[in-house]
Amino acid sequence: MIDDADAGRDTGGRPPTFTAWLRNRTDAQLAALFALRPDLVTPVPADIAALASRATARPAVLRVLDRLDRFGLQVLEGLVALGDERLGGAAGVERGRLAAALGAGTDRLDEAVSGLLAGALVWEDGPRLRPVSILGDILRTPAGLGQPLRAVLAERPADALDRVAGALGLGTGRSAGGGPAESIAAALGDAAGVDKALDLAGPEARPVLDRLMWGPPQGTVQGASDRGGALSAAASPIDRLLSLGLLVPTAADTVVLPREIALHLRGGALFQQVEADPPRLTGAQPSAGTVVRTAAGQAFTAMRSVAELLERWAEEPPGVLRSGGLGARDLRRTARELDTDETTAALFVETARAAGLLAADDEVGGEWLPTPEFDLWREAPGERRWLRLVEAWLRSPRVASLCGTKDSRGRSRPVLGEGLDRRSAPEVRLDVLGVLAGAPEDLAPDEESVAARLAWLRPRRQGPAYAELVSAALNEAALLGLTGRGAPAPHTRALVEELDAEDVPLAERDTTSAGERLAAELPEPLETVLVQGDLTAVAPGPLVPQLARELALAADVESTGGATVYRFTESSIRRALDAGRGADDLIALLERHSSTELPQPLRYLVNDVARRHGRLRIGTASCYLRCDEPTVLDELSGDRRAADLQLFRLAPTVVASRSTRPVLMGRLEELGYHPVAESADGTVQLTGTAARRAAPASAASASRDLDEPTAPNAQLRLAAVRAVRAGDEAATTARRPVDAPDGAPPRSPTNATLTALSEAATQGRRVWIGYLDPEGRASSRIVEPARVEGGFLTAYDATRAAVHRFAVHRITGIADLDAS
Amino acid sequence: MSCLIVQSDKTLLLEVDHELADECRRTIAPFAELERAPEHVHTYRVTPLALWNARAAGHDAEQVVDAFITYSRFPVPHSLLVDIAETMDRYGRLRLHSDPTHGLVLHALDTAVLEEVVRAKKIKGMLGERIDEESVAVHPSERGNLKQALLKLGWPAEDYAGYVDGEAHAIELAEEDWELRGYQRDAAENFYSGGSGVVVLPCGAGKTIVGAAAMSMARSTTLILVTNTVAVHQWRTELLHRTNLTEDEIGEYSGTRKDIRPVTIATYQVMAARKKGVHSHLELFEARDWGLIIYDEVHLLPAPIFRMTADLQARRRLGLTATLVREDGREGDVFSLIGPKRYDAPWKQMENQGWIAPADCVEVRVNLTESERLAYATADPEDRYRFCASSASKTEVVRELVRRHEGEQTLIIGTYIDQLDELGESLGAPVIKGDTRVKERERLFEEFRSGELHTLVVSKVANFSIDLPEAGVAIQVSGSFGSRQEEAQRLGRLLRPKTDSRSARFYAVTARDTVDQDFAAHRQRFLAEQGYAYRIADAGDVLAGDEL
Repeated sequence: MIDDADAGRDTGGRPPTFTAWLRNRTDAQLAALFALRPDLVTPVPADIAALASRATARPAVLRVLDRLDRFGLQVLEGLVALGDERLGGAAGVERGRLAAALGAGTDRLDEAVSGLLAGALVWEDGPRLRPVSILGDILRTPAGLGQPLRAVLAERPADALDRVAGALGLGTGRSAGGGPAESIAAALGDAAGVDKALDLAGPEARPVLDRLMWGPPQGTVQGASDRGGALSAAASPIDRLLSLGLLVPTAADTVVLPREIALHLRGGALFQQVEADPPRLTGAQPSAGTVVRTAAGQAFTAMRSVAELLERWAEEPPGVLRSGGLGARDLRRTARELDTDETTAALFVETARAAGLLAADDEVGGEWLPTPEFDLWREAPGERRWLRLVEAWLRSPRVASLCGTKDSRGRSRPVLGEGLDRRSAPEVRLDVLGVLAGAPEDLAPDEESVAARLAWLRPRRQGPAYAELVSAALNEAALLGLTGRGAPAPHTRALVEELDAEDVPLAERDTTSAGERLAAELPEPLETVLVQGDLTAVAPGPLVPQLARELALAADVESTGGATVYRFTESSIRRALDAGRGADDLIALLERHSSTELPQPLRYLVNDVARRHGRLRIGTASCYLRCDEPTVLDELSGDRRAADLQLFRLAPTVVASRSTRPVLMGRLEELGYHPVAESADGTVQLTGTAARRAAPASAASASRDLDEPTAPNAQLRLAAVRAVRAGDEAATTARRPVDAPDGAPPRSPTNATLTALSEAATQGRRVWIGYLDPEGRASSRIVEPARVEGGFLTAYDATRAAVHRFAVHRITGIADLDAS
Repeated sequence: MSCLIVQSDKTLLLEVDHELADECRRTIAPFAELERAPEHVHTYRVTPLALWNARAAGHDAEQVVDAFITYSRFPVPHSLLVDIAETMDRYGRLRLHSDPTHGLVLHALDTAVLEEVVRAKKIKGMLGERIDEESVAVHPSERGNLKQALLKLGWPAEDYAGYVDGEAHAIELAEEDWELRGYQRDAAENFYSGGSGVVVLPCGAGKTIVGAAAMSMARSTTLILVTNTVAVHQWRTELLHRTNLTEDEIGEYSGTRKDIRPVTIATYQVMAARKKGVHSHLELFEARDWGLIIYDEVHLLPAPIFRMTADLQARRRLGLTATLVREDGREGDVFSLIGPKRYDAPWKQMENQGWIAPADCVEVRVNLTESERLAYATADPEDRYRFCASSASKTEVVRELVRRHEGEQTLIIGTYIDQLDELGESLGAPVIKGDTRVKERERLFEEFRSGELHTLVVSKVANFSIDLPEAGVAIQVSGSFGSRQEEAQRLGRLLRPKTDSRSARFYAVTARDTVDQDFAAHRQRFLAEQGYAYRIADAGDVLAGDEL
């Protein structure tokens, strides 16, 4: 924690600080900062000083830098490059100077600067803009410029500096006010000085400088640190540059072109090319109708495939690999069953899990099973089903397309298994969708132009891994029906717009514009099918669930897609009969739902199967009784005492029972029948046919393991601002320590604390306390003590706006607030 | 609402009663194979071969994708469209050219593809030196093998290397008492302008005449390969009738005779026959400078003839068939070695236009007697079909059916000779089987054609290429385990248009609750998929005099 309590709200003569600037931001501005950088409020900092230190910590700054676009980054680099105090002036850059060095339009510049201010990467020191100091460390060569002369010369030994000063014709030794380094820096700090030195170096030296001019500013020179003697002794152009301080050795074999020199050579410009505007998106121009229809078609396919996948897995669940995940063979089989390739199947599988529709049951040697959520999802209207899948995909860190690739140990990464998580995947997906949604109405941006746009938008994120994620995101967006023929569909544009509008997931909102748009394109469920002479029934569109279930029972699904083709076979009809449907029921059902006359062979088939159905009958018994004398069995069946044994007569000499053999033995023994056990074999196994489901508990955790803090909503952000303000008030209000009575043990002011608290409680005064919370974090609170008892203080905590109990032993200090 | 539905397994469902159905059918026919044509919804399948056939016929991916988008009732999944475009794009990236300096050359429009292909192990040996970035020399003898191998790699080559003219021979159609039908002319012209390829026409649509028309266009010596000796004679008769060719100009090359004439008709059997492991009749291909080779029933072309055909790529090749479906799945070899599909017309359409007779299929189920059932249940597995298919209970029903169609030309078709003999005896009808002499066969067929003989019992020798135009009723008592092929051929016997435009009757007598019934289910499916009305009746009802 930066103890910065002295810096009041008004800087009044004291040197301006970042903390003071931050304190003077409005609540709205702070809330905006929290929106941009959610990591600053997880957890909520105690006060402004804590906030300032967190905002300028390296990881936090790196995180926000990664979200800057190329122009923002260029502006920031410009500020870091020009705002360095070691260039000779005051720290910071005035806007005019920055604009001149960038040569960019003021509109875009102002916009970029306010972005940097909003993100608290840059703060205002009077008219000057100052980057937060950690940026100097992070951006070591801003705009491709080396360190300023003063910085690089400081590392050089005194005799080397003297030689340089000599070569430049400057006084040497201590006399020259601030040492030779300072005088060299001053001499080369202005244009005339550099020109003069360049003249001395001669024209042959120029190409060397030109190579380093636009960066990177370091070069390799053999024995650099030992070269650069007197100018007259310099043998080569590089020696002359070293002698004159135009290049400065930084290590045994490296030299650097100091910032001032490079800037002079560049004619004051920071960049060769200032990219103020994002690159244009280019690509094919499919017709709007095609885009909508294709995307909606794919959306429908995705939903259908996920449903089919899970239904199949409910019947034949694939096992969970010992290492977690799904076996390659299971994936291949699934892909084949879904008429698709393995990449697509992997995406559907991963998306189903991300949406909480699929989970591993927690038995040992578990299986992948649909969750109870799946049953709800299946009944939801099409657009809601889609929204749920798409949002799960958007927020999931898992990248399905990585499955099958090898990890560092050369093992293949399985789908649903380890190694598919990429922390930045959700962000990349959002960025990709954002870029797509921002494309002109009739454009299908090609992958290169999307990648180029993203390279501008997230310059610090680029790399092979990022490019892979972008490519995967584009491909997956197409497979999930977000794009059609490469262009974003209207429902996708709507989705991007309303994604963060509310905290409720899209699929659970009352209405969404994305859902409405998609619903208009999805086919309506039908109630009729076409039944044909080749014993197929074609449902020319999705069926109402009831009919779909009945048909799936009585016929085998032969192909799926826009329509479903069912084939009636002997075994499928038998299945329906087994499930309790009668032949007449079946025919009536088909007649009711067939838009044409039922073909004669189908009627014949149903009746023919029904004729043979049930000729053989199977029952379940766990043991039997045999007796050659039927009368004994008659007696037993008539015995009231044996009613609990559930005996039933199969034949005159055979009785079966559902009771287990030991029970039957025992009971018959009791009843005095004295049975003898037969050698055991041929008991019937009971089969369970209910579709299996995993426990809901294990499903919930599937998508919630994001490392990146999620952005807090507006309400939370305002609360955070209030909390920080209150904490800040607590930390900065002038306070008077309460004197502990003399003779009290040092460092143990508990008695004094107790007394002061009790006093405050009786008088109803507010006091400041320092408090160590259970995690050991120090914080300042302003409290209104209510009572002190049992080692606890109960008080209204203004910082948290709630009544709290504080352990007295954790209170580190107390001060009066109201007393003057 | 349009009429086409695209399924995820790349089948297309066409609702035939829709007003746009006809237009849509014409649009999709070039790139989708009709797979099933029952009464309401026809199923087409889009396969790589079908797409390449379309490319060969000059259609591009954009047209196909457009057709999907125009006619599809529901939005078509993007991935499917991409897949189609990519598949179609693969055809023609490689071309075979005849180069004046380098001879046969494989030329690529895309060097990456050439690189991939040149590196393929299977292809290395077929290629000569690399000429430049885009082309590589090909050993002329490997023209066919290369095309076959490229197809397997998924990069089918377009063959622009041309054909030898062959020895000229004047052949004219003799259209005196008959006329070439429009579709026959189209088929022949499509074939000729494409160079080589396959014409798909249903049985009874006059494939022989298409062959004759193609010959009259090529005007060169012709080798015709057919399935068996009877078919040789039939081709010969047809050619004499339809063209100006004379007896002396047509040679027969079969088991019994080995004449080589300007037009020579040979059987597959002879060509595929081996003596001491060597194909002894290969010289026939070299015997003359053939300008045209016709493969009848190309879906039955045996493997050795494929190998021989690979060496004949410089000659025009015409394949004739009723179906591109091969039970052995070698459709790809037909595509690469004979050529792409040049013409096709579905059965139903021909029937509607009156070129072939409509047919009505009835399955009659016979109850086996108690003793037959017991015997069936205890029979050895390999004898079960034979037992139930040739059960004596069928005889009575067959007699009843024959009686009902008295005066009509009736064929009784079966597999088992004992059963056929018994039926022949019981019906007082002659039996044609494998050991019936060719002369005797032809006499009986002739009497049947002329109407002197009303009822004929035939074994499976009659399955192929025997023209019995007047047969109006067929009763099938046993078959070869429900083969689709066989069914098409048997039905084909009946589908020649009748003089009085009656519809044909096709009975199948089956034994209830046996494998016979299971095989009948295959047949039923096939026939229903071909769009024929199909009914099932109980033998008891038939015998009791119920109307069928």
